[in-house]
Amino acid sequence: MDYAESYVIVTVFILLGVALPVAALTMGRLLRPHQPTTDKGISYESGVDPTGDSWIQFNVRYYLFALLFVIFDVETVFLYPWAVAYNDLRTDVGLFILVEMLIFVFFLVIGLLYAWKKKVLEWT
Amino acid sequence: MEKYLLDYNWTVMAPELIIAGAAALLSIIDLLMKEKQDKRVLASLGFVAVLGALYFTVSRFGQQPYEILGDTYRIDDFGLVFKTLLLTGTALVLAVSLQEAKRKEITAQGEYYYLLLTALLGGMILTSSADLITLFVGLELLSISSYILAGIRKRRTDSNEAAWKYVVLGGVSSAFILYGMSFVYGLAGTTNLYTAQERMAEAMGNGMESFVYLSLFLMLFGFGFKVASAPFHMWVPDVYQGAPTPVTTFLAVVSKTAAFALMIRVILGGYLFLFNSRTAEGLELLTTALLVLAGLSMVIGNTVALRQFNNKRLMAYSSIAHAGYTLVPLATLGPMLFESTVYYLTAYLLMTLGAFTVIGIVERNAGTGDISAFAGLSRRSPLTAAAMTIFLISLSGIPVTAGFFGKFYILINAVATQHFWIAAIMLATTVVSYFYYFGIVRMMYFRPPVLEGKVKVPPASALVIAVAMIGTVVLGITPQWALEQLGEVNWAAALSPLNGGAPPAQ
Repeated sequence: MDYAESYVIVTVFILLGVALPVAALTMGRLLRPHQPTTDKGISYESGVDPTGDSWIQFNVRYYLFALLFVIFDVETVFLYPWAVAYNDLRTDVGLFILVEMLIFVFFLVIGLLYAWKKKVLEWT
Repeated sequence: MEKYLLDYNWTVMAPELIIAGAAALLSIIDLLMKEKQDKRVLASLGFVAVLGALYFTVSRFGQQPYEILGDTYRIDDFGLVFKTLLLTGTALVLAVSLQEAKRKEITAQGEYYYLLLTALLGGMILTSSADLITLFVGLELLSISSYILAGIRKRRTDSNEAAWKYVVLGGVSSAFILYGMSFVYGLAGTTNLYTAQERMAEAMGNGMESFVYLSLFLMLFGFGFKVASAPFHMWVPDVYQGAPTPVTTFLAVVSKTAAFALMIRVILGGYLFLFNSRTAEGLELLTTALLVLAGLSMVIGNTVALRQFNNKRLMAYSSIAHAGYTLVPLATLGPMLFESTVYYLTAYLLMTLGAFTVIGIVERNAGTGDISAFAGLSRRSPLTAAAMTIFLISLSGIPVTAGFFGKFYILINAVATQHFWIAAIMLATTVVSYFYYFGIVRMMYFRPPVLEGKVKVPPASALVIAVAMIGTVVLGITPQWALEQLGEVNWAAALSPLNGGAPPAQ
């Protein structure tokens, strides 16, 4: 067994992934009553009737904010396991583990400073 | 406890640390400076850092190979040679940028300089990684910095187009490489290139040949893209044309050299002994695949270049053709594999850098990227025209220039290993290449100038042209000496796993 055969499982999952939604939707179509009205056709948006077109310009700042968020999100993801394992790592590898993380955080701080200076943090 | 950290010989990583530190420092200084200030001082800082890194790289030559950071990072002569090339190329590009990267066009000047440094750092990591993960990190650092650099003239449509195409196609090629690496990991259970080679040999014994080949060919697709060889070349002309000229130079010279280092390291470090010990079939398959890439690059690069009327597009196709030539020694595993590849890459670095510098000057002067910008250059600036002629002669491979001997040694590799058809393609396409290279020479000497007055050559660019020209000529006059120097390098160390020299186990 082995390496080649483990791809059988992948294939099975792909087939399942395709078959499940197809089966579910077909079953639904066969079982449900079909009585369309205009109200039913409106797209659902938090219970409020949508107004205007969906093709509008979004403010580009959303994008920058999202980018900043992702950067610091990833930082947290790295920091948590590091903090949890810190004591063990310190006995194993010594202070290097602290230095390493400080370097990482330092570079991220440069990123934050950059965003700050380039006025990403201001909305107006 | 702290002694473990100091047990490592950190000085071996001095070049990388200097460049990383310089990039960080530059970005901080850039943030402290006023928006409208002239930021060319940053270029000088970067230049000094590159020279410092170059000093530490060169002073490390001839010492024992050394592995650091849990055997992921490997400093051996192979890496050092390529690092020297990368650093030299970047230093010259920085010198050109001093004049060429004007505020009018590149508003983000600070970013421009430190992205050059981070791209360089990625290239350096590529040349001396012994681990697939570090390799990939280096590759992405180089690529992502290059994507931004290609689009740094953000108000220009062609620059945006270049960056966009580069991002999309570059992402696809990285995905191919990563997918190939994932199969290596699946077979070997390790990301260390040299350990993976041993374990893949076992896997091949267990009837896993197809997966070994799959991993190799997936990675070859990606490498083909990164070194800009046909049939993965579609991005090259658009990106080279749209990017600012110094960035194009960087892509053509530094990026390509780093990609070759990556390709040679992975193929020789990961697959050569594996195929040697197991089966001749694998080796044959690899050779054929690489030769097809090489032959296609030569044919497509040189013939399509005939129909180009934009300088940078022409140089892009020429660079595709040169990628084809450079692939031949690796493909044939010839007797002078390393020497001839490095010799050719050095020659290519010098002549391409020189040619692009002249193109940048001429374009700025004429305000057009057409070949007609060269019209009558011999009368408006005889020295520049003479230098450009030497670069073009070298690019087309006519003696006595570096380009000629580079091609000559590559040809020896092909003939010595009985691959006559690739030698024939190489000769034929070289003849074809004369037409478009000499098209520019004809423009410079036999067409009347369109514009009046002298062409102004900024001092830093003049220096770069002089360095490139002297290098091209000297390498062409003393090829034997250069080859002997390269022959003394301990290439074999790049091929085998390292025992000893590693830090003591805890």
